[in-house]
Amino acid sequence: MIDGILYDGVTGDRREVRAEPIGGKLQLTHSDGSLETIDAAVLRRIDRDPDRLRIGRSDREGWRLLVPAAAKSDFDPLLGKEERYGRWIDRIGLVPALVTFGVITAGIVAIGYLSPKWIAPHVPESWERNVGDAIVGDFGDNRCRGAEGQRVLDKLVERLDPGATHGPNAIRIATLDFPIFNAAALPGAHIVVFQGALDEVEDPDALAGVVAHEIAHVRRRHVTQALIRELGIGALIRLFAGDVGVNAQQLVSLSYTRENEAEADRDAIVMLRRANISPKPTGDLFVQLANEMGEEPGFTGEFLQSHPLSRKRAERFVAAAQKGSPIGTPCLTANSTRSS
Amino acid sequence: MDSYKAWPADGDERAIRFTGNWREYLPIAATNVALIIVTLGIYRFWATARQRRYLWSRTHIVDDGLEWTGTGKEMFFGFLMVVAFILPFFVFIQFLFPALVARGKEAAAGGLMFLFYIAFFYLAGVARFRALRYRLSRTWWHGIRGGSDNPGWNYGGEYLGRHALSFMTMFIMYPWAATRLWNSRWKAMSFGPLQFRADLTAKGLKARWVWVYIAPLLLMAVSAAIAMIVITAKLDGQEADPEKMAGLGGVLGVILVLFYIVLPLATLHWYAKFYRNAAAATTLGDIEFGFDATTWDWLKLFLGNIGLAIVTFGFGLAFWGYRQWAFMVRHMHVYGVVNLDQLTRSTVAAPREAEGWADAFDVGAI
Repeated sequence: MIDGILYDGVTGDRREVRAEPIGGKLQLTHSDGSLETIDAAVLRRIDRDPDRLRIGRSDREGWRLLVPAAAKSDFDPLLGKEERYGRWIDRIGLVPALVTFGVITAGIVAIGYLSPKWIAPHVPESWERNVGDAIVGDFGDNRCRGAEGQRVLDKLVERLDPGATHGPNAIRIATLDFPIFNAAALPGAHIVVFQGALDEVEDPDALAGVVAHEIAHVRRRHVTQALIRELGIGALIRLFAGDVGVNAQQLVSLSYTRENEAEADRDAIVMLRRANISPKPTGDLFVQLANEMGEEPGFTGEFLQSHPLSRKRAERFVAAAQKGSPIGTPCLTANSTRSS
Repeated sequence: MDSYKAWPADGDERAIRFTGNWREYLPIAATNVALIIVTLGIYRFWATARQRRYLWSRTHIVDDGLEWTGTGKEMFFGFLMVVAFILPFFVFIQFLFPALVARGKEAAAGGLMFLFYIAFFYLAGVARFRALRYRLSRTWWHGIRGGSDNPGWNYGGEYLGRHALSFMTMFIMYPWAATRLWNSRWKAMSFGPLQFRADLTAKGLKARWVWVYIAPLLLMAVSAAIAMIVITAKLDGQEADPEKMAGLGGVLGVILVLFYIVLPLATLHWYAKFYRNAAAATTLGDIEFGFDATTWDWLKLFLGNIGLAIVTFGFGLAFWGYRQWAFMVRHMHVYGVVNLDQLTRSTVAAPREAEGWADAFDVGAI
């Protein structure tokens, strides 16, 4: 007989009882001498602190029997296994669970890392075009609508990638009236150049380099990859993410972007060469940008920035120019890029 | 057997005690972190349940520990339920917003974003209420639990309205909003047959809020004054005395640092008093509460948290919840008498979605 404390779940009264496991059942002797026998099937192990073992009943909410922890071994046969990490982990054990889930997680991350690259080429361009048009529309009032400027940009794309502005998968280039120095490839073969970039670029050949880079993003389906990555693995990880997840996701998408950027730079250099435009002004532009931003090469900066260092990218273009590529003919006259 | 428990009003024996220690908790923290990492975060619901089961069981009130009966599974499914409900809206907005901007309809996009934030704020209020309700419904003492029958939809509206008022008065009204919301939240809660009551007022809190309020304004005014001196010096065409300029730059730097020290300190100063007053203004039946943590105590807690995280290379983060709970319990006081045979089974609903709303909106409960 073990002295215990009983709460019946009906009131908060604390009652002293004597408890004894007898033949697969629990027998309680109440303070008034009455006996109560409880089937082991309804008993549940609740918790254990250093002093007491807590037993509950599946058929009575709040019913609790507290016995000294020292008597644990007497009651163990009546109670199920102790839940420690959660039933799904307990079933396989902590270490096997860590290994199994570790492997599965590594697999998911690897697939998340690689699958956009595999899936992107198989997404029909017409689908992407529909998504892109739905998102982008016609840019409303933000678009510079000057016919001459548009003609100049189309001509530039044609020179870099002959035939690119025609056909069902035509590249559609537009200038947006924002004073930002940037250009971007958007879903559905849209390329946008911000007015700020047109105003700032001194050598039109540098603009050609930038546009060539964006054309490469479109042609290589990098935009599609980014969409898939964002909608797929990114959303999944963000859903459950603690901080660990966010960092993991950032690493995945970062290294990806860097790979894509490098590929786009290589393609851009090829395009420039084919169009007989020197890559050097693009390189100079990147050097200038790198200086303006005060970027310093360094391991952490290199690794954690979402875009490769401009200096490094600049080196690619400058090196291409030095590798005996033709100096080229200027692609545009300086003022013809001013649109609208 | 006596049903009355006389609770110490003061003295050596505290009515509420924390009996855990970090060595006991370490294996829980370590395995939680490991499992969260290998499951890409999914285990965090079970980790929370384990953490609470430990912390609750080591919190003794008079003659028995608390018991946490919430499970990781219910929190996981509660989270999924809420996410399934709100995710379509998020995805819709995520596509609709850029689509409107791209078409040059900035006004419509702005309006959409405004509505979105209103809805977000309302649901954050609901989430906060429901998290508290859930926690009480899974907290047991002497075989009795707490909870609320109020679903919290009205509280969400009150939360939105009071914060809007606070916002429109440039946060001058914030102490009133915060105190009234505390009252509304706790008045809806019960433990067994006993109803919580709360009549916290802004009395005694306003002075501390003034500090939070004027600290940034004061620092901004000083910075602006320095900036003016620099600009006028330049406009006068005098090539500024480099030594003087360096001095001013130094002062600006100091102000920037102060900004990051003074503002959190003023906030802490406010919250310390807020929680002391709030506990004193809250009762459960004939039971009264007290809380005695000073600003200095809170500061030590937070500095300790940060220091611990740094020296353990981040692992110490796993102990923040433990330290926070231990801190709350150690500074809490419970006074009064409870009639145990009248402390009867709670009849209020036990919510099924657990902390899904609070999880989805990342808000606290108390």
